[in-house]
Amino acid sequence: MMFYLVARRVLATIPALLGVSIVVFILLNALPGDPLVGLLAPDATEADRQVLAESLGLNDPLPVQYINWLFGVFQGDLGQSFSRARPVTTILVPAFRATMALALSAAILGIVTGMILGTIAALKPGGIIDRGVGIFSMTGLSVPSYWLAILLIIVFASQLKILPAAGMAREGSGLLNFFRHLILPAIANAAVTVGLTARTTRASLIATYGENFVTTLRAKGLKATQVLVHVWKNAAPAVMTVAGLQIGYLFGGSVLVEPIFSWPGLGSVIFQAISSRDLRVVQACVLAIAITFVVVNLIVDLLQITVNPRLRRG
Amino acid sequence: MTQAMAELKQEITIEPRSYYREAIDKLIRRPAAVISVSILLLLILGAIFAPLLTSYSPIAGNIAVRLVSLGSPDHFLGTDEQGRDMFSRLLYGGRLSLLVGILPVAIATILGTFIGAISGYVKGPLAGLLMRLMDMSYAFPAVILAIGITAALGPGMKNSIIAIAIVFTPPIARVAEGATKQVVVQEYVEAARISGASNIQMVLTQVLPNIIGTVLVYSAGLFGVSIVLGSGLSFLGLGAAPPTPEWGYMLSTLRGSMYVQPVVVALPGFFIFITSIAFNILSDEIHDALDLHEM
Repeated sequence: MMFYLVARRVLATIPALLGVSIVVFILLNALPGDPLVGLLAPDATEADRQVLAESLGLNDPLPVQYINWLFGVFQGDLGQSFSRARPVTTILVPAFRATMALALSAAILGIVTGMILGTIAALKPGGIIDRGVGIFSMTGLSVPSYWLAILLIIVFASQLKILPAAGMAREGSGLLNFFRHLILPAIANAAVTVGLTARTTRASLIATYGENFVTTLRAKGLKATQVLVHVWKNAAPAVMTVAGLQIGYLFGGSVLVEPIFSWPGLGSVIFQAISSRDLRVVQACVLAIAITFVVVNLIVDLLQITVNPRLRRG
Repeated sequence: MTQAMAELKQEITIEPRSYYREAIDKLIRRPAAVISVSILLLLILGAIFAPLLTSYSPIAGNIAVRLVSLGSPDHFLGTDEQGRDMFSRLLYGGRLSLLVGILPVAIATILGTFIGAISGYVKGPLAGLLMRLMDMSYAFPAVILAIGITAALGPGMKNSIIAIAIVFTPPIARVAEGATKQVVVQEYVEAARISGASNIQMVLTQVLPNIIGTVLVYSAGLFGVSIVLGSGLSFLGLGAAPPTPEWGYMLSTLRGSMYVQPVVVALPGFFIFITSIAFNILSDEIHDALDLHEM
């Protein structure tokens, strides 16, 4: 039973990935924007243009172009970056690692903080702590991450001078140094996740507290902390669903935060590629993040299936 | 006896009130809703009547007074890196920033309602295909899809509005489709069908009026995201073109001066934040007033 469930979920990612590839291909090739922009010298003639278009296969029918492009992607060939004059893949791989470090630490930070805040808020709904958490969550949900990033630099790097304002620690310079560089971008990226997780945790716990089995547990004479453990176990699936989706979104959210901290990830690559009109690099990053998003969501779902027995019955 | 009759009569003649009327009545009794609406109105009026509220040009600056701090006699919100009055730029900047918060949601609501209502009502392979097409967007985080579309169409305010509208259409279509499926099985819809209404009549008179409330409540929750996303695109250099003021773009150009004039630098972002949180609180209050408790 479980095998079929897992197999079905894994197979369901194939159309999703196919959809991603089609959308990204359309973004690169079939929209009104000129795919040759930036590739041609300003004084290029129409003949130069034709030669370049032909050599890049831009005169083939779109489906043929799509298949060729897809085969390239499978072989790790995402084309050349004209602004940096090297294969896109060599830019993408190190940047991807940096983004992953940022997105995953933001996910851990955001989900754990959100769960703690949501839990203490749910212990006394309507109380002063609950209201405080409510305002805090709303702020987290609404704050633009790129603005929060600037505020954090102003406070912690410029005024207090206790944390570095930019960059990622060089490899081998120690774990502490790595985290000192990571903490501000992670906080800026995690704000939305904290707010969303706290709200979901609170709502889910309060709903579970209202169920009959909680009355039984209390009547049995369980301590408040023991009751909380039972309530949490039952509320967990709803929280995990929302929190799990956040991990994938944080890979996207990094894009708006990284340029501010000069964090050498996909976001900074996209930012530079946008200013140099290097469309191929932008689209490669979009593809990488979308594939990651699909795969992360798959992993989260599979974890849910293994952890939650109710899902296993399918 | 007569008094009892009069009382009974009074009880019977309770004026019927519409659902929306009642919701608005509830909303104006909630302080948080009133405050957020007031803030939004203030920002919108400030953007519209900017020429009347300031004599400074939002575009021409005076290099001699660049990066003046807050509370200076001539420029009470300071000046930016080119010596342009911040108050003026923030007022004028609201025009584009608020537009990018509101317009994409409006476009996506119309498109999404249309697509969702049709595929919920028709239920054929074509409708299924339409919704699968919508599903494709769920494989992307919203920011990334918006960046990809804007980068492909070419940077600019118009294209970022189009991009965000495209990003918001599928979720709205999904909500509209769900609501439509609940409506079409109702008996009054069956009655309309039996009495010979055409498909177009059915959608216009039976489906749309009954799903529009659900859709609008959902859409209201998107304004806050829309302005953060739209200004974010400008911040990345995909939206407003210089020297036009726009909050996200202002934040991006001022960023280099954050060690010199931190409070002035933070101002445009504060306006994005205030707009977004006001929209989000309002959306929450609407949910509470309509008694929609969902996760």
